[in-house]
Amino acid sequence: MRPLLKVENLVKHYAAGRSTRSKDRLAALDGVSLSIPSGETLALVGESGSGKSTLALCIACLETPTSGSISFEGIDVATLDENQQRLFRPQIQLVFQDPASSLNPRWTALEIVSEPFLVQRRFTKPDRTVRALQLLDRVAIPRKLAGRRADELSGGQKQRLAIARALALEPKLIILDEALSALDCSVQALIANLLLELQASLGLAYLFITHDFAMAAHLADRIAVMDRGRIVESGPTENILRSPNHEATRALLAAVPRFIESPSVLVTA
Amino acid sequence: MSQRLKLTKWLVVLVVLHCIVAGAGFFAPYNPVEQDREHPYLPPMRVHLMDAQNHFHVRPFFYPLRLRTGSFDQYEEDTTSAIPLRFFTRGTPYRLLGLIPSRLHLFGSTDARIHLLGSDAYGRDQLSRILYGGQVSLLAGLLGATVTLLFGALIGMAAGYYDGWRDELLMRVAELFLALPWLYLLFALRAFLPLAVSPLEAFLLVVAVIGMVGWARPARLVRGVVLSVKERDFVRAARGFGAPDFYLLRRHILPETASVLLTQAAILVPQFVLAEMTLSFLGLGVPEPMSSWGNLLASLQQYSVLVSYWWMYLPAVAIIPFFLGYLGLASALQERVGAYKIDEKSSWNPS
Amino acid sequence: MRYLLRRTLHAVFLLFGVSLLTFLFSALTPGNYFDEMRLNPQISPESIAALHTQYQLDRPLPVRYAHWLNAVAHGELGFSFAYNSPVAPLLWVRARNTLLLTVTAALLAWLLALPLGVWSASRFGRVPDRVVSWTTATLLVIPDLVLALGLLILAVRTGWFPTGGLVSVGYEEFSPLHKLGDLALHMTLPVLALVLATLPMLVRHVRASVAEVLDAPFLRAALGHGIPHRKLLYGYALRAAANPLISLFGFSVGTLLSGSLLVEVVMSWPGLGPLLLESILARDLYVVIGGVLLSMIFLVAGNLFADVLLYWADPRIHTAVSPK
Repeated sequence: MRPLLKVENLVKHYAAGRSTRSKDRLAALDGVSLSIPSGETLALVGESGSGKSTLALCIACLETPTSGSISFEGIDVATLDENQQRLFRPQIQLVFQDPASSLNPRWTALEIVSEPFLVQRRFTKPDRTVRALQLLDRVAIPRKLAGRRADELSGGQKQRLAIARALALEPKLIILDEALSALDCSVQALIANLLLELQASLGLAYLFITHDFAMAAHLADRIAVMDRGRIVESGPTENILRSPNHEATRALLAAVPRFIESPSVLVTA
Repeated sequence: MSQRLKLTKWLVVLVVLHCIVAGAGFFAPYNPVEQDREHPYLPPMRVHLMDAQNHFHVRPFFYPLRLRTGSFDQYEEDTTSAIPLRFFTRGTPYRLLGLIPSRLHLFGSTDARIHLLGSDAYGRDQLSRILYGGQVSLLAGLLGATVTLLFGALIGMAAGYYDGWRDELLMRVAELFLALPWLYLLFALRAFLPLAVSPLEAFLLVVAVIGMVGWARPARLVRGVVLSVKERDFVRAARGFGAPDFYLLRRHILPETASVLLTQAAILVPQFVLAEMTLSFLGLGVPEPMSSWGNLLASLQQYSVLVSYWWMYLPAVAIIPFFLGYLGLASALQERVGAYKIDEKSSWNPS
Repeated sequence: MRYLLRRTLHAVFLLFGVSLLTFLFSALTPGNYFDEMRLNPQISPESIAALHTQYQLDRPLPVRYAHWLNAVAHGELGFSFAYNSPVAPLLWVRARNTLLLTVTAALLAWLLALPLGVWSASRFGRVPDRVVSWTTATLLVIPDLVLALGLLILAVRTGWFPTGGLVSVGYEEFSPLHKLGDLALHMTLPVLALVLATLPMLVRHVRASVAEVLDAPFLRAALGHGIPHRKLLYGYALRAAANPLISLFGFSVGTLLSGSLLVEVVMSWPGLGPLLLESILARDLYVVIGGVLLSMIFLVAGNLFADVLLYWADPRIHTAVSPK
């Protein structure tokens, strides 16, 4: 079956500083290939600087890759012109790591969630409000907070708002770029479960980018490990966890805190 | 005092001052062009409550001035006739704000002319001329600041948003303009434009010239804001929904520049009022018979006036409360924004 | 070194830009200007024709610019119609007078501002500092036009100071000491006006920069070492706070020719300012261009000077790797 998203040999170079010499260029992505079937979750795990965010931006069409292809439902994204791109964008949405910067702090929750409708010029104003409120319900944000400014909400609420906004245009794929990393542990768990529930009811596909293997294991069907701009290992979650091959994978796994039977062992160490 | 309170305090002060000038027709007893050639250069008249016979009058009154015997330019009070000062009287007709016709004046007298701040060479009441002149000068300052900020904001946004060679080019030009001494630039600009024009044309010319001189600093500041906001994730997210550039600029980036623009406005308006005053004082700005604070001071360039008629200096003092108000407002705004750094390039009296 | 090179190139670029702008201003209204000249009975039609060909008004703009640049490079700044003499010598004399005033005023202002600012910063928030802050705030609110006029009126009413001019009548016959005294007397009011106009801002900047530095740990460490208070303030704190002040100093140098225009006109001091004004009113084109150009050169040179000083004073600049 045709995968929802297929990325082939994606390369992205950045110019380091102001020079344009080729050897000064930073290869953020050095030939990345992956695919995500519809309704599934692929976790992209890697350390900071491995190129994960760049990949996310390229897939969401917010950066142009230097070479390689990104196909969504069989269509090569690079071939779309501006107008077609605008119609295409609702299909892939992005949730960022820091909700304080991904939501305009001066806007109210309602305005933020309705913004996608405004930009895509859908629905009349009263309709937008109704749908926005429904989205808030979906992510379990009490309606009374709808008129509050974004900077008055808690971290967890802000991230729920970001998810609600991402859902507005009924995308098929949501990219979550370290979306849980900035939240408290307990809140992380709640939002993770929200994501799973939304996936089940809406049939969403997720590209879940993180450096936290434990969370990846919890949410993903497949895991891909990224190191210095390349995918070094990928496969079903179980396989990766049980028998990691690449040293990067092993290093990331080792970083996950393990709970030992008896806590007293720690004290004597 | 909390920041909000400070801000409000200065705003109130400024609003009151501007209202007084805007309502010049009401507050001034006479029309600024009303001449009285019989009585040139009258010194300021005093208002009394106690008359020469030590009687107390409830209604304030003044003595008309007459020439001292044996002198042709020394005046003294004619204590024989005490002329009462009337409040809310009917006087010369005028149009409030240029629209509403009225004859109501705050104070005045039907029997003789009262000159609280003296009169000039043609016997025109200085108080009235100062108030009406304030309208011209302040308007020039406000309009000039608007032109500059509009221009500066547009250029700053273009430079900040469209990176690359456009940004480089615009900022280099801005540096050039910043490097030029504004007064010289003002003069040079004004000089190469026709000198003999009607008062209205002169006024518009002054506004245009002033406006074109100061755009560089606001442009740089706006550019800075745009550069930082542009990278924020909420702008990225909006682009992710398919938002076009114009939408992003208008709905996300522009509101962030508001505080910078407001602070710049508070700094620029008094500078531009001063620029108009300077130009008019030197004969390059608003010409007679239109009065502006600048050309009211022009008579001081004559030695005789300087020596004998000190009250002709008063228009210069008129601007000080406005400067104070704007300076206070600017500090309050800067504190509020949090960027309270004295940047030497934003100095008060640039030369 | 690269930094210096870059700043010099930058200055050269600025000069070109400024010269271009100045030239463009003049070139854009030749019609106006020469028409007015034609109306002026003092100038014969032959002179106008001669000027027309001399300044090659029929050639395209870039050629004229190149020609003009060439002339300027040779020190030939054109001809003044009002004074009936070449522009350059006229400018030099006036510029010298202006510099006399502004250099004195700048020196005085800086010599006063530094100790005042440092002292004020060292007693931050306490009564002496508040007095200084209030005084500077008050002075700042008074524009220099108002200040200059006010001082002039004072001079006239008290008769203590002459009300204009460089020197008194009969100056040539004075003894050297009397000459100096006469000059000083004439200079007092304009210098006072200039100092009062620039001092408040300088004091504020010095105070702000030093106050920022006084909080720093390295100063507290130095104090702990027993370094005497005055040495601490001037030797350590002031040097650390020097960067913005050096830029400000460069700016002061840059405005030596242009900053005193208003004061000179009001106080009838025969400097560049009144000349510029006169020429503008008389439509004496080349004097205006020459005057504007000269003061721009000073400005650019002043900024470059500040850059050089900064380079010399702040070791971080030559060791910095990344460009500005």
